[in-house]
Amino acid sequence: MKYSETHEWIKVEKEAGTVGVTDYAQAELGDIVYVELPQVGQEVKAGEEAAVLESTKAAADVYSPVSGKIVAVNDSLDDAPELINTSSERDGWIFKIALSHAEELEKLLDGEQYQSSIK
Amino acid sequence: MRTGIYDKHCVLGAKIVEFAGWDMPVYYRGIIHEHRVVRQKVGIFDVSHMGRIHVKGPDTERFLDYLSTNTIAKKKDFTATYTVWCLESGGSLDDLIVYRISQTEFFVVVNASNRKKDLEHLHRLSNRYEVIIKERYQDGIIAIQGPQAKSLVGQVFDVVDELKPMCFLPVAYHGEEIFLSGTGYTGAGGVEIYASMPAIVDLWDRMLAVGEKYGIEPIGLGARDTLRLEMGYALYGHELNEDIAPTESVSAWTVKWNKENFLGMSALKELQHSPKKRAEYGIVLQGKGIAREGYKVYKEGRQIGKVTSGTMSPSLHKAIAIILVEGKLQEGDNLEVQIRHRSCPAKVVQLPFYSFKPNA
Repeated sequence: MKYSETHEWIKVEKEAGTVGVTDYAQAELGDIVYVELPQVGQEVKAGEEAAVLESTKAAADVYSPVSGKIVAVNDSLDDAPELINTSSERDGWIFKIALSHAEELEKLLDGEQYQSSIK
Repeated sequence: MRTGIYDKHCVLGAKIVEFAGWDMPVYYRGIIHEHRVVRQKVGIFDVSHMGRIHVKGPDTERFLDYLSTNTIAKKKDFTATYTVWCLESGGSLDDLIVYRISQTEFFVVVNASNRKKDLEHLHRLSNRYEVIIKERYQDGIIAIQGPQAKSLVGQVFDVVDELKPMCFLPVAYHGEEIFLSGTGYTGAGGVEIYASMPAIVDLWDRMLAVGEKYGIEPIGLGARDTLRLEMGYALYGHELNEDIAPTESVSAWTVKWNKENFLGMSALKELQHSPKKRAEYGIVLQGKGIAREGYKVYKEGRQIGKVTSGTMSPSLHKAIAIILVEGKLQEGDNLEVQIRHRSCPAKVVQLPFYSFKPNA
C-alpha cells in the first residue's frame, strides 16, 4: 500500500490500483454524506482531482496518486457514502485505475513515511 | 480564545476548530449523530463564545428600541426578543436576542464574531441616552436542547416548569444570580443558561451527570449549524452581514414598520421600493450533490444569486440550502445550482425545512 501527501492510498495488483482516502482523512472530514465519483473511462494525471467527497461541513477533493484510466468506481458509495468513514481503507475504496506510468509509484510514501507525515 | 469548558471538551474527545477567534468543539462523535441526539433526546452545547452585555438606566428601553428592527418597547418583563441591529445604511450589524429584566435593565446576547463591534456600537450610540453599558464577556452560556431538555433541566431547577418559550427567569445558584431562558437556536426546544464562568462549568458537569438517564450528549458547532439550517434560521456572516439588509433576509419578519423610528429605518424604507432589493429563500436540491455557500443560483439560465448556507439535512436526508437572490420567487419555482462543473436542479420550498411532529 502506498500513500500520497494529500491522504489518498493506493493498493496495486498487476497494473491496476485501487484508490481511497486514509483513515486520517476521513476523521478530519467528518461524516461523508455524498461522493462525486469519476466516470469509468476517464483519464487522469497524477495529482489531478478524480473525485469529490462532501461532508456536512465542506467538500474535499480526492486526487489521483497516479496517472491512468479509471476502470471501475465503487457504486456502493452512492447509497452508502458513510463507508468511507467506517471502512476507509477497504470497503470505502473509491475507484480503480489502470496505471499508465507505474514508475510514479516510487514518488509516493510508504506506510511509515505517511504515518510520520501526519504526526 | 477558550471558554472555561475547553479542557472538558478535549477530554470528551472533541474535534476542535477555530471559530471567530475561539477554539471550539465542532463535533465529539460526529455531526449527524449529534444532530439526531438533539432532535430525539437532549444535547448540551457550550456557547460561551457568544457575548452578553448588560444595559441599564432610565433610557434603556428607548435606547434598545431605537437600535433594534423589532419592537422592544412596552414588552413584558422577563421576555426575550430576537432582532437585527442595523447600520444607518440599512445593512445588518448583527442579529441577537434582547432580554428585558425591567424597563430600566436589559441584557443582550450577541454573536461571538461581533463582540467588539457590537460593544463599540452601543457605546457610540449611547451619547444621547442615560444608560450604563457593562459587558459580561468573561461569563459563560450553555444551551440544553431537545425534547427531554426541559425535563432534564427541571431536575436541577424546578422553576423550569414555569419557563415559557422566549421568556426567562432569574434564579439563585451558589450565591449568584443566574438566568434560565426558554430560547435556543435548534428548533428542538429547551433552555439556555447564563451565569459566571465557574457556575457554567459546574452546571455543564451537573447537566451531563443528571442527563445521563435522558441520553444527554455534548454537541458541537457542526450540529448546531445543521440544526439551525433545518429551521431556516440566519447565521450572521451568511444570511446576514453589513451588505445584506434584514428586509432582504430570512429575518425580515423582525422589521416592525409600525415603530416610530429605528436606526436604519429610512434606508430600509427606500430599499423596499428599489428593484435592487433581494430576498432569501429555502431550496431543496432535486439531484445529487450538496449546495455550498457561494455556489451560483440560476433561473431559466440566468444567474439570480447565490447560496448563503447549505448542507445535507440529517433529519430530511435531502440537500437543503438558503439562497440570496434578486427579485421574488414562489414556492415550487425550479432553479439550478452550479455545483463545481455541473448544474443541479433545485426547488424553492417554504421555511422551515424541518417541522417538529410530536408523534413522528
